[in-house]
Amino acid sequence: MAVVGARRPTPYGEAVAERLATDLAAAGVVVVSGLALGVDAAAHEGALIGGGCTVAVLGSGVDVIYPAANADLARRLLHAGGAIVSQFPDGTVPRAANFPRRNWVIAALADLVVVVEAAEGSGALITADAALHLGKQVMAVPGSVFSALSVGCHQLLRDGAGLVQNARDVLADLSSPGEVLDDPLAAPERFRIAEPADGSRDPLLRHLDDSLPGDPGVLARKLGLPFGDLIARLTRLELEGRVVRRGAGYVKVHGRGTSREESE
Amino acid sequence: MLATVLTSLVRGLEARPVEVQVDISSGVAGFFLVGLASGSVREAKERARAAIRNSGLRFPHRRLTVNLAPAELRKDGSGLDLAIAVGICMAALGLKAPRDAAFLGELSLDGTLRHVDGVLVAARGLPGQGVTDLVVPACDAAEAALGEAIRVLPAPNLASVVSHLRGEAPLAPYAGSLPEAQSPDPELDLAEIQGQEAARRALEVAAAGGHHLLMWGPPGAGKTMLARCLPGLLPPLTLAEALEVAEVRSVLGELPPGCPLDWRRPFRAPHHSMSLAGLVGGGSGMARPGEISRASHGVLFLDELAEFEPATVQALRQPLEQGRVFLTRSAGSVAFPARFQLVAATNPCPCGWSGDGRRACRCTRAALETYRRALSGPLLDRVDLQVNVPRTPLEALGGEPSGESSSIVRERVLAARSLQLKRQGMLNASLRAAHLRCWAPLRPAARRGLERWATEAALTARGFHRAWRVARTLADLEAAAEVEEGHVMEALGYRLAEHAG
Repeated sequence: MAVVGARRPTPYGEAVAERLATDLAAAGVVVVSGLALGVDAAAHEGALIGGGCTVAVLGSGVDVIYPAANADLARRLLHAGGAIVSQFPDGTVPRAANFPRRNWVIAALADLVVVVEAAEGSGALITADAALHLGKQVMAVPGSVFSALSVGCHQLLRDGAGLVQNARDVLADLSSPGEVLDDPLAAPERFRIAEPADGSRDPLLRHLDDSLPGDPGVLARKLGLPFGDLIARLTRLELEGRVVRRGAGYVKVHGRGTSREESE
Repeated sequence: MLATVLTSLVRGLEARPVEVQVDISSGVAGFFLVGLASGSVREAKERARAAIRNSGLRFPHRRLTVNLAPAELRKDGSGLDLAIAVGICMAALGLKAPRDAAFLGELSLDGTLRHVDGVLVAARGLPGQGVTDLVVPACDAAEAALGEAIRVLPAPNLASVVSHLRGEAPLAPYAGSLPEAQSPDPELDLAEIQGQEAARRALEVAAAGGHHLLMWGPPGAGKTMLARCLPGLLPPLTLAEALEVAEVRSVLGELPPGCPLDWRRPFRAPHHSMSLAGLVGGGSGMARPGEISRASHGVLFLDELAEFEPATVQALRQPLEQGRVFLTRSAGSVAFPARFQLVAATNPCPCGWSGDGRRACRCTRAALETYRRALSGPLLDRVDLQVNVPRTPLEALGGEPSGESSSIVRERVLAARSLQLKRQGMLNASLRAAHLRCWAPLRPAARRGLERWATEAALTARGFHRAWRVARTLADLEAAAEVEEGHVMEALGYRLAEHAG
């Protein structure tokens, strides 16, 4: 099964990719992806956490690990019994033109392609397209309707792709018997924030989203706070790892209990 | 007969006295001009000859030698015309020119005096050289009068100067007085800006601490408008500052006649295609002030910073550090003031969509890193504040602007600046590490916060001190003696997000 998506996902997309891959690997599925940054790396990472084996398909020669930031991941992936494959001869440098061709190989290797966060016209959609041409199943994870990174996935869903809420959805489609998994999906460990001992949480978090960057100016106006105070509080949350900066805005890091809080 | 007349040349913002020595001796009639005169000064011979004749005075038909001393100083421009003509007339009449008066002006062929550049610089510099009277073209009198220590004698033409020196019709000293200091209305008021809370706050902090500012935002987000608001947040120029601003304009011949002193802080926004010489100063022969000197005591706004030639941007480093720029050309070295506050603006990424929720940025991480690396480096090390300026949503543009006006913000800025000057004699932006320990004590929680950030975000020593400086300014805006944790946290918020998408 292939898990592909944006190179610069939201914390939400990264968490979904990792969790899905973990659960699938635990159920014995081989996770195929492209060793790119973002969703690809999270999928490989998740498969390793799930104790499964995972296959990385490169857009360069197998001896040229690109991007270099994932060299360590590549090593661990091989160590866990995974594979690094490529249709390009040794020593091929990663050219932009290689990647669409690489995406076809990902689609060809997998029985099913799951797309997690894809902007319009992104590489993940090329993979989905290839999968359809090759007669493979395509599924997509829904995202926030406010996020540009959800556009591609929602387009796929509209066109009839299967909706993925958890690994069970995928396993049902692969028609292999798997264990019953949590519903809804629980965020993976590294995306969870330990609650402070005194239970204090900045109520500011309730006003932030995990995929749509919140504009601090709008937030300050809404809450009636001086802008400087708001930035100070957001920066403190950033230091604690509860929010991250995305361009001009702030995004909440996916944590335990956030989904419940969201529905309040 | 020998006559000696004083005049002056402008080198940078410095007035160098020049002696015009005229000797008339018997011999074959001729006119010799010596003393390292450039082409434009040699032309003075013809102008002086015609002007003297057309003023009803006699041009001596004998051997005429004019020496411009000191001989090692290269003479340029037409400002020496009057002194040369006066010297010839004095020598021909057998009169002595006064040793405490200097003469500046270009001659028309009919003897009328025309404007010369740099009169203000001469008027301010010559009293130190023992000169008490300055004869200038009537149109330059108001400018010259800004140099208070000198008596300005405006003259319409050569004939009036000669009759003044013969004691027939003394020239009347210029009577205008120095203009009063004013607080001019800002060119653009913050109240006209919609939204942009982050940039508003950053401008206030920049104005309060003298910090340089970089705005990241897509085209059309209003970065230029925001930058134009900064001069209106700063205190009005002091007399000394206004005079220095006027001197630079005087050298460039850009002072408007009649209202020579402008109390507004300069705002210069050179286009990114500008050459190195245009930006920092230069030119052939003698260097002229560039945009950074025109922006001295004001704001230099560099829009599309990434589009500037790297060498041009690099050349800003030394002026940023020293507040002056030193230029060497074939005709000599000069220094110009360059005490400007830098406001730069740039696209967040090559495609321009980064950080905009409506469309995903299509730049690869590598392209983004290359882009940012090209921008960073020594220049950005001097920029304490970085802020994102997103596009204002169109639906918000229709509403009434809700922010504070410049005058309210300026009151807070002035209070914070006076605190800094009282405490340390300089603005926070100039504080170095040792100063910070002394003048910006951190509360324990603030220190812990800053150190924790430094460890976890792998802050460089420079980044550490940048945040500390900005935190000091934030504390000053609240009139707090010590830097609190909240100040440090806010200061750390004014930097570029690592992830753009």
